[in-house]
Amino acid sequence: MPVRTAYSTKELGDAVSDLKKQCGAPQPRVVIYFGSPKYDPRELSRQMKQCFPEACVAGCSSAGEIASGNMMSGSVVAMFLDEDIVEDAACAVVGNLSAEISMADAFATLGRHFQAPLASLDHEKYVGLVLVDGLSGAEERLMEKLGDATDIFFVGGSAGDDLKFQSTPVSENGKTYSNAAVLVLLRVKRGFEIVKTQSFRTTGKTLVATKVEEAHRQVIEFNHRPALDAYAAALGITAEEAPARFFHNPLGLMIAGEPFVRSPQRAEAGTIFFYCQIKEAMELDVLEATDIVADTRQAIAERQAVNGSGNGAGSIRGLIDFQCILRTLQLRDEHRCEQYGSIFRDIPMIGFSTYGEEYLGHVNQTSTILLFR
Amino acid sequence: MAGQIKHMIDSIVEQRAKGNPTIALTTKTKLVLKGLNPDRFDSGSPDDPAVITKVKAIAADLGVHV
Repeated sequence: MPVRTAYSTKELGDAVSDLKKQCGAPQPRVVIYFGSPKYDPRELSRQMKQCFPEACVAGCSSAGEIASGNMMSGSVVAMFLDEDIVEDAACAVVGNLSAEISMADAFATLGRHFQAPLASLDHEKYVGLVLVDGLSGAEERLMEKLGDATDIFFVGGSAGDDLKFQSTPVSENGKTYSNAAVLVLLRVKRGFEIVKTQSFRTTGKTLVATKVEEAHRQVIEFNHRPALDAYAAALGITAEEAPARFFHNPLGLMIAGEPFVRSPQRAEAGTIFFYCQIKEAMELDVLEATDIVADTRQAIAERQAVNGSGNGAGSIRGLIDFQCILRTLQLRDEHRCEQYGSIFRDIPMIGFSTYGEEYLGHVNQTSTILLFR
Repeated sequence: MAGQIKHMIDSIVEQRAKGNPTIALTTKTKLVLKGLNPDRFDSGSPDDPAVITKVKAIAADLGVHV
């Protein structure tokens, strides 16, 4: 049975009722939702939990929503996971991200629920979702702590707010938090896959970060030159022309031939500010853009083929797409949202446009997808 | 002396992965994201004390002994 999904563009009270009506019976075990900032996040969270009192309910604000073939704004989308997909689930909150991050309380909560420490759980049966306050700037530290403590994969995104950059809260079981992350740990019945797809190839040119301000996501020098000058030289353009190329020529930390994309945000006095951290001495490839729609279509088609069916959605029962807002903006600019949505038309899915994606670390300009078999 | 850093990195990956190739790959990925690229070190790499200190700190974070 495929995963149930729903979306609504109605106003708050009616929207939650609308989602519940689309969900139908029986009550789901887990509800994941992403809501436009037009909704009061506290009230949305409270009403979602009230509607699904028996479920583990988690969500966050978004910068655009996606539900099975529709890229939207001003909506709330939800996925309902029942026992056919998820045997068991628990949520926990990691608070106070701006301070020294401690996973102890969250891991204790999850460990109590599953009656085993997280480090002992089977990474092929358990998978985690992570939703982070998108303005916390703490994603790298959070993901590093998670990755240090467990080999279970956590995949997710940084909450958005339609590019207002004012408030990007996360919610768990009726409560709403800022400066926090929500973890949802799932014991999956049949299996899952994580797909990280980005539409870039290397130019073969590299830059080494020789002076950084890591905490502020700044690179001051590449190759012992002002960062902007070195970046521009790698592309054969002037420093003045360089910011216009940030979008199409981000940098990639290459791991096993695949880029972990670091997107430049802006330049200031020769320094480049990124959307995620770059550590000193890191060597990065200068990337060039390829086709988002074609690449994502291929990535999903490959997963469908692996799952043993070339017919429709095959055995993909549902997926959650954490899609970078930069990709969404590009698709909007190119009037290709419908093309992108069509990739998922036959697959039950939800997603949202993020302020960054989480998979092993914090990444930019990807679609990072959790796929249920 | 040379090669100690590669030996330490291999030990981190082995202890963490316990023979599982998926975890071996993700552990290497975690190392790269922490700023320690395993591919840059081989048995001839000099035993740079600063790098060795960094590897020990990373090992401690990952809960393994080197």
